[in-house]
Amino acid sequence: MIEFDRVSRRFEDRDALRNLSLNIPSGEMAFLTGHSGAGKSTLLRLLLLLDRPTGGEVRLQGAATRHLKGGAVAHYRRRFGVVFQDHRLLFDRNVHDNVALPLEVAGYSPRDITRRVRAALDKVGLLASERAAPASLSAGEQQRVGIARAVVARPEYLIADEPTGNLDPQLSLEIMSLFEAFNQVGVTVLVATHDMALVSRLRHRVIALSAGRLVGSSAL
Amino acid sequence: MSRQGPRSWSRWSAWRSQHRAAARDSWAKLAARPMATAVTWLVVAISLALPGTLLLTLDNLAGVAGSWGDSARISVLLDDTADHAAAEALGDAVEAWPEVVTLALVDKDQALTDFATQTGLLFLVGSLPRNPLPHTLLVYPDSTLAAAELASLTTRLQSLPSVHQAVMDARWIARLEAALRTVERWVRGLGALMVLGAILLLGNTLRLAIEARHEELLVVSLIGGTKGFARRPFLYTGLWYGAGGGVMAALLLWLLSLWVSGPVNDLFMLYDSARQLDGPGLSYALTAILAGASVGWLAAWIASARVFRRLDTA
Repeated sequence: MIEFDRVSRRFEDRDALRNLSLNIPSGEMAFLTGHSGAGKSTLLRLLLLLDRPTGGEVRLQGAATRHLKGGAVAHYRRRFGVVFQDHRLLFDRNVHDNVALPLEVAGYSPRDITRRVRAALDKVGLLASERAAPASLSAGEQQRVGIARAVVARPEYLIADEPTGNLDPQLSLEIMSLFEAFNQVGVTVLVATHDMALVSRLRHRVIALSAGRLVGSSAL
Repeated sequence: MSRQGPRSWSRWSAWRSQHRAAARDSWAKLAARPMATAVTWLVVAISLALPGTLLLTLDNLAGVAGSWGDSARISVLLDDTADHAAAEALGDAVEAWPEVVTLALVDKDQALTDFATQTGLLFLVGSLPRNPLPHTLLVYPDSTLAAAELASLTTRLQSLPSVHQAVMDARWIARLEAALRTVERWVRGLGALMVLGAILLLGNTLRLAIEARHEELLVVSLIGGTKGFARRPFLYTGLWYGAGGGVMAALLLWLLSLWVSGPVNDLFMLYDSARQLDGPGLSYALTAILAGASVGWLAAWIASARVFRRLDTA
């Protein structure tokens, strides 16, 4: 369960989030929508402890996150898999080593790493590109490598920030069906997107933000 | 739903494996740019080798001073007319003085033979019509005597009958030792500055390396990498730069000492000493490598702390 309890984030010149309260139960898949500047990114940053609220509290499984520092933040983040619009792959290493990074960080054994990386790449259909350089892949393939990296350590939560921003509708739908597949095996999925056409084709809860406020939360 | 590694894989082996990987990857990155790496090594090596050479010189000089003894000694040269028996009698008398700890008689014939064998000038000595050396008493006074008491002792020895001259050898040794202490301090200060320079230089090199991998640091931080994990490759990069510089510094020291050993040993011989130049040896090599490694590690720590502080607020 992800809980935002009257969360505010005030920057010097504006309020990015205003008194936002929100629950996302474990096992749910939800879309986070709104125009740019509505507060989607701020919400995700607060959830990943990349930023701290100026008011209210973010809780995960009922536990407050406010006091987490240093190594505890690192361990907290390992419970999430994160997919970015620009996928943030490291171009100085091959696909396998990119996907392996979360496992190395968490201290898995080399044999386990190889096994799990293969499984994750297989799930996104890129096992054949294991040794390829990320730069040699298409945009859709790069995004799938990013997804493999996000899920390889079997996180409890999968967070995606505009994951289909650079992709055509067909590829976007493929990516979304991957997220749905992970959701079906119990992963809580939160996808921030402004692609309303895509959102409307999929039957999931939609959390709508506008100017830092919750303006709608539909459970479809 | 929490992820667990397999039971056989302990935290300890995970930690070791991460260190091995960080060490290997950092080495591979340095090896991929051999010229840049060699230049960095050389710069570190020079900053370590310069104070190293000076320290080595000091060690040798201190050895020279020490081999002459740190206690004062008065050489009493007897008149030509004094024969061996007279010299012995005088020696016995002086040795009984309370200020005198011990005394040695250097027989003039013995002195000449020693001189001949030590210098290899046997043929010259053989050709002398007579022994030009006098019998000599080496008087070792009580080491607690003050300088003034030593001086008055010397005067008393000088005024004895059949004494040609009494010479106190202590003063120049004391001066040399004082000078050495001054120079040593100077060398240590200079060495500290050079090492500081090496830290700053390596720190800057490493800061650039860290900033070049800014994106990687962000990703590592996002997927739950601890600061220690993110920092590790850079600490190893620093370690390799520093230790490699240390190895080169040891090499430089060894080459330099090889280069000067000929003239220095000639010099020792001219001063009638059986000493040889002490080379840098293993202890200098190990110290240089250890110092280099510490400098590198420290520089990496400082550089990464600076970059991470900025990352934290990003």
